[in-house]
Amino acid sequence: MTEYSPGLEGVVAAQTAISEVDGANGRLIYRGGYLIEDLAPAVSFEETAYLLWNGELPNKSQLDALRQEMAAARKLKDSTRSVIISLEYDTDPMDVLRTAVSAQGAAKALQKPTVVEAISLTAVVPTIVAAAHRRRHKRDLVEPRAELSHAANLLWMMDGQEPARERVHWLDQYLVLLADHGLNASTFTARVVASTGSDLTSCVVGAIAALKGPAHGGATYAARTMLDSIGSVENVDRWLADAHAKHARFPGFGHRVYRTYDPRAKILREMAKTADPKLHQLAAHTEEVALKILHDAHPERPNATNVDFWASVVLTGAGIPKELFTCVFAMARIAGWTAHVLESLADLRIIRPASQWVGPEPGKKPIPVEKR
Amino acid sequence: MPAEYVPGLEGIVAAQTEISLVDGANGQLVYRGYVIADLAEEISFEEVAHLFWYGSLPSRAQLDGLAAQLSSVRTLTPAAMTALDALPTDSDPMDVLRSVLSVQGVLPHLQKPTIEHAIHSTAALPTILAAFHRRRKDLAFVKPRPDLGHAANYLYMLNGEEAKPELVRALNTYLVLLADHGMNASTFTARVIASTDSDMASCLVGAIGALKGPAHGGAPSAVMDQLEQIGTAENAEHWMREARRRKERFMGFGHRVYRTYDPRARILKAMCQRLNPKFYELASKVEETALAILHEEHPERPQATNVEFYSAGVLQAIGLPKDFFPPTFAVSRVAGWSAHVLEQASHNRLIRPQSEYVGPQPRKPVPLAERG
Repeated sequence: MTEYSPGLEGVVAAQTAISEVDGANGRLIYRGGYLIEDLAPAVSFEETAYLLWNGELPNKSQLDALRQEMAAARKLKDSTRSVIISLEYDTDPMDVLRTAVSAQGAAKALQKPTVVEAISLTAVVPTIVAAAHRRRHKRDLVEPRAELSHAANLLWMMDGQEPARERVHWLDQYLVLLADHGLNASTFTARVVASTGSDLTSCVVGAIAALKGPAHGGATYAARTMLDSIGSVENVDRWLADAHAKHARFPGFGHRVYRTYDPRAKILREMAKTADPKLHQLAAHTEEVALKILHDAHPERPNATNVDFWASVVLTGAGIPKELFTCVFAMARIAGWTAHVLESLADLRIIRPASQWVGPEPGKKPIPVEKR
Repeated sequence: MPAEYVPGLEGIVAAQTEISLVDGANGQLVYRGYVIADLAEEISFEEVAHLFWYGSLPSRAQLDGLAAQLSSVRTLTPAAMTALDALPTDSDPMDVLRSVLSVQGVLPHLQKPTIEHAIHSTAALPTILAAFHRRRKDLAFVKPRPDLGHAANYLYMLNGEEAKPELVRALNTYLVLLADHGMNASTFTARVIASTDSDMASCLVGAIGALKGPAHGGAPSAVMDQLEQIGTAENAEHWMREARRRKERFMGFGHRVYRTYDPRARILKAMCQRLNPKFYELASKVEETALAILHEEHPERPQATNVEFYSAGVLQAIGLPKDFFPPTFAVSRVAGWSAHVLEQASHNRLIRPQSEYVGPQPRKPVPLAERG
């Protein structure tokens, strides 16, 4: 038996062709060998999902077919709708998502995960997220529209009006950039669940549950909350210095894998300039000061702005309220989760690590309750 | 360079724990120092839960306190009840459990997992299952009774009448035996989710999804299916040799950890003999034959009857329908899951292993119009 490795850091838990995080060189590679900076400007989220599921970018007719399949699967089942409506108005949108995906995927008999199912679950996420949003504002749900793209549908169903083209573009780019990222905690969760032979819905529900954690998917929300709390450019220096003095971590900075600037953060930083110029200005100054403070404290550590920091600005520009940030992250990452599950089926083996016993010596005898 | 890929993380230490020890070499299962054989028929499920959550077997006053707490949260929230009613009556009970616990566990805001949350979910599982069972049989919902224990309440709510003491006792022993088992796939799922600082309900919902897999909690139902196909003890040898020729697996055999007879299987086997003689007659013959065939094929491997094999007979004797075997496993294991979540949260580090990229080297995407 090996030694305990906290967080399984450095342990290789899967072989994958879905994506590669090349931290040393600051590269993110998607299935097929595409660098994220080459892919992002060239493809939509739907093309990215197709790539992750099938291993190749779709041609025009394949893409059209996928769009149709997604359009057909975007509606909530009646039972899912009732489940969503049963929840309190102010339920955490991630809890709505976890529950509604679970209900949408409820079935009579256990099924092996398929691409068709991956498409269905991916397609319905924006419908659920928009429903959670509408419910929070005590408004009626809006039906999806078949002719709109995946990103456009979310904005349409949230607002009930045709979204501006740029907003759709920013959201779509975000979805492409966040669609997969190696063996992060939620993807790993999906693979562990899949390893028992469970169904795709269970894998995705588990992944959503993991993404909910502030140490994982919650970071975009935390980054935006920090920017809100800083408030204006003049406050940046003092706010960060105070926070640092109190040993508070800066949300949006730090990553276990990248040793250089996160390539997704770079793309989002550029996009943030047009997506929300005012917030960009605040964020850019915050980044500058934060990196300086972090560098002074730990000169040996690399540049550490992560994707969450700039995603918070771009999503704001796209008109997503911060309460939905983690849900929108799930809307992107579900493409990767499902692709990983499908990949793992080829060589399914239950993931059952060992634990190290640090409790009392075996052999204690129980004392009857009345004598304890 | 990262370490080598370890399929199934076999032998990799993913956590330190004081909750349970699976001592495979000596065929022992130990709960916080107590050997399972010393606990199984001596104490109640509630006492085991107390042992897991608080670290010690309860005194009479502590046990009464815990029983009162469980009793106070055994009813479903209105939202959970509505969600349960919304799901199709032919849904897999594991999907119902996953979806309704997801509602029952909703908190007003993200909270660090607590013992109170553990109690809340543990109390609710039998109520969810019983309510669903009544509903699909078109019977009125039966409210839990404060004077009944955990096992007794489950059977009472299912059947609408108090169960015979020997059946309550049998269910209690089953719940004690299955309450924890080292770093199995569902417990590990719960810990991975907890490692992102997510909440208790998210961890448990994920664990249910993992338990659903046939390679994990789905096994006892599969045992029953196979025994039904074999039909009679006389038919066993013939059927099983044929099955082997078709490369079919024997359900209820094989375990990655135990090198001797599973101590839980031994206890369950004796219970089957007492409570379910008809099952026992067939099952013991099938076991004998299976072990003989498996020994012929792999004489170097140990005796491999696992806990699922005789679980099936005990759960049948208790009167549970076959599709309630996996969720009843959850009713027990939730005590262990939640204890592991609390342990993980108490000294947490994000569980984020690595993957090994086995895809192509970087290349450029072809524009949509030019793709073949």
